[in-house]
Amino acid sequence: MELIVLKTNLREGIASLGKIGSENASLPILKNCLIETHENKIKFSVTNLEMAIASVIPAKVIQDGSITVPLSVLSSIINNLESERVSLETKANNLIIKTENYQAKIQGTKKEEFPIIPKIENEKEYIEIESGLLKDSFLSIITASQGSAIRPELGGILFDYQVNFVKFAATDSFRLAEKTINENRYKANIEQKVKMIVPLKTIQELVRIMSEKDDEKIKIYFDQSQILFRTEKFELVSRVINGDFPDYQQIIPKETSIEVIVNRDQLVNALKLTGAFSDKMNEIRVIIKEGVKNIELFSSNPILGENQYLIPAKIKGDSMEIVFNWKFLFDGMKSITTENVTIGLNGDNKPAIIKPMNVTDYFYIIMPIKSE
Amino acid sequence: MELDQLWKSALAELEVQMTQPNFLTWFKNSRLIDRSPEGELVVSLANNFAKEWVENKYHKSILEILISLDDSVRKVRYIVAIMPVEPQKTTGEAKKSHSSIPQQATFDEFKIDAETNLHPKYTFKSYVVGSSNELAYAASLAVIKDMGKKYNPLFIYGGSGLGKTHLMQSIGNQIRQTHGNTIKVKYIPSEKFVNDIVFSIKNKRMEDMKRIYRSVDVLIIDDIQFIAGKAASEEEFFHTFNALYDNDKQIILSSDRPPHETSILEERLRSRFSSGMIVDISYPDYEMRLAIIKQKLEQEHISIPDSVTEFIAEKMQRNIREIEGVLKKIMFYQDVKGVEVTRSIVEDIIDKTTKHSFKNVTPNQVMQVVSNFFELTEKDLTDQGRRKEIVEPRQIAMFLMKDLLGMSYSDIGHKMGKRDHSTVMHACDKIGKLLTSDQKIANKISSIKEVINSK
Repeated sequence: MELIVLKTNLREGIASLGKIGSENASLPILKNCLIETHENKIKFSVTNLEMAIASVIPAKVIQDGSITVPLSVLSSIINNLESERVSLETKANNLIIKTENYQAKIQGTKKEEFPIIPKIENEKEYIEIESGLLKDSFLSIITASQGSAIRPELGGILFDYQVNFVKFAATDSFRLAEKTINENRYKANIEQKVKMIVPLKTIQELVRIMSEKDDEKIKIYFDQSQILFRTEKFELVSRVINGDFPDYQQIIPKETSIEVIVNRDQLVNALKLTGAFSDKMNEIRVIIKEGVKNIELFSSNPILGENQYLIPAKIKGDSMEIVFNWKFLFDGMKSITTENVTIGLNGDNKPAIIKPMNVTDYFYIIMPIKSE
Repeated sequence: MELDQLWKSALAELEVQMTQPNFLTWFKNSRLIDRSPEGELVVSLANNFAKEWVENKYHKSILEILISLDDSVRKVRYIVAIMPVEPQKTTGEAKKSHSSIPQQATFDEFKIDAETNLHPKYTFKSYVVGSSNELAYAASLAVIKDMGKKYNPLFIYGGSGLGKTHLMQSIGNQIRQTHGNTIKVKYIPSEKFVNDIVFSIKNKRMEDMKRIYRSVDVLIIDDIQFIAGKAASEEEFFHTFNALYDNDKQIILSSDRPPHETSILEERLRSRFSSGMIVDISYPDYEMRLAIIKQKLEQEHISIPDSVTEFIAEKMQRNIREIEGVLKKIMFYQDVKGVEVTRSIVEDIIDKTTKHSFKNVTPNQVMQVVSNFFELTEKDLTDQGRRKEIVEPRQIAMFLMKDLLGMSYSDIGHKMGKRDHSTVMHACDKIGKLLTSDQKIANKISSIKEVINSK
């Protein structure tokens, strides 16, 4: 292998790989990164046997070839190089990195020792979606998941393709977030419905790599045990979680007896402030009074003291008090960007539903803290 | 040689051919899961990476080793296991908080046990026993005491919303409670069973499917009537049934009617269902309904005047699930709206609960459902035949059109093959009377209503 590549491209390519490979110590080769050339492109791949990430960058390839080298060494070299042009070359089992004033020789291992990255058999059927939209959608729901190891089926993100819309949902059994994307915002040629659970870790890596530029498209492929995300710059293939995502339709409140409309920024601010006094359960009490034009957030701590905050609100329905974990409430607010939010309530032991005002493609359901 | 034994010997030889980390990485959780008569073996591996690697790097040695151990082996195929990931065990129940400390509530519906599919809310404690279900209840207790021996299979039938699911899940939960993890229980609605079969056939994963279902000690299948007429599912269920039955594993089934009335079901299945204990759950009498309502109210910590509970018990005769619905609405009125629940409000609620769903039903749908239910054609209903097995369904169809859709007698007559309106009147009258005097007819009609409702 022999090639010349620009430092900025190289950095970008290596940065996409993240740190997934280095976590598995049982098989030393998993700490390595596979470097291959193909038609004036370099492809870097890493894997932890749960998922694999590959990035592709342009380069001037003089002679095709391949090698694997420890990723940590490679990335610390590349990140500190100064010269713009870098030449890479393999000699025996070594990778030689050269610039005008620097040369390094890294001991590598043959490509044949590196795990074979599984392929998706059916590459004809896929969903194509804007990268920025997908990233925002995932970001808006992953706060509700904690990657539970006790309940594997709760440890991931539901990917629910219903042909004319796609739904993503996440839950840790205390709260649940769902985002819907309608068919006019993606292209797909898959006619049957597909439902799978993607590990939280996979989505977190994906969110990290995905660009925010809206013009970049990402294609999603799957078979019964894997999912593949692909753009021109990277590929991420991951196993999916076996099991059924809980049937959460039944927990969505169909109607709410109390509806509160508040300014989103004010609520966020109030949560941060009152949260300062909350106990280790992060409790804050929300007090709603019929006929009053604001809601009160109250928190107290036997050692620290107490505080309350009034937020102007439009209230429909009766008086009530309900206690939440303010961090959970805050998580739900983070992904809402509209000026106002509506909070629907049904009683102090029933789930509350939070929605951005006048937007129907997102909701966040949260269970209160039980008051005995 | 046994599959497990064969694979163990093969692994022992493989282990020395590679480094320990390699062996652990690629062969951890691998299993030999199937063998075809032609000598093809199926090996399941932990993930796609392992499959690729083993297929490409070790296939030759694996095949050689297996042939040397067993010369009837011809081929080896690899698949990725779809067995669910073993959940990590929680460190005891010590975390259960005291009632004085506030507790973060969780979504109740997520408490279903992923392994057994049982919902913890169904227990015998909350099951009200009366004359209509005491036999079913006693049989259930007997099954728990003497699993797989005395009453196998236990077949429970009865109308919708009378507590079949509650009873079956209670059996499962009770067994889990007394035996813990030593007894494998699996509860499954037959619809899910059918879906699993379809999925496995499509993805060529029947081996997994077979293994999962045939490894349980207690298999509970709800609403078994749904597999009737689905050939592949009936076939697979038949074999699962035999495999479990021959090994003295307990099987519990439920249906909306007794086995001999489910005539599209294959004969060999029907006769097997009838070979164990068949019990029915019929409509609860007034006292029992009252007890159920009282018990629900206690559960939810609410109180409503006795006159109202009595009124509900009197009005809601057919379906306990609907009683629950009514009580939930009453709670909503009391809790949230703060309204005193009076008899007229309850009357209103009951009306809405029982009548709501038939608005969008068409006469053709009624005919279709009725003819399907009795396994006739729609033409049989409108024709002039006077055989008994046609006359009754025809009269029921007329009755339902009147009762559910409120059509006029002459419209119904026209729809049902240009019959005279007096014929229709007579039919509606007759069925209406039978409904109170003939339990069988009442059961049939409520089952049919249920089907129409679900359309």
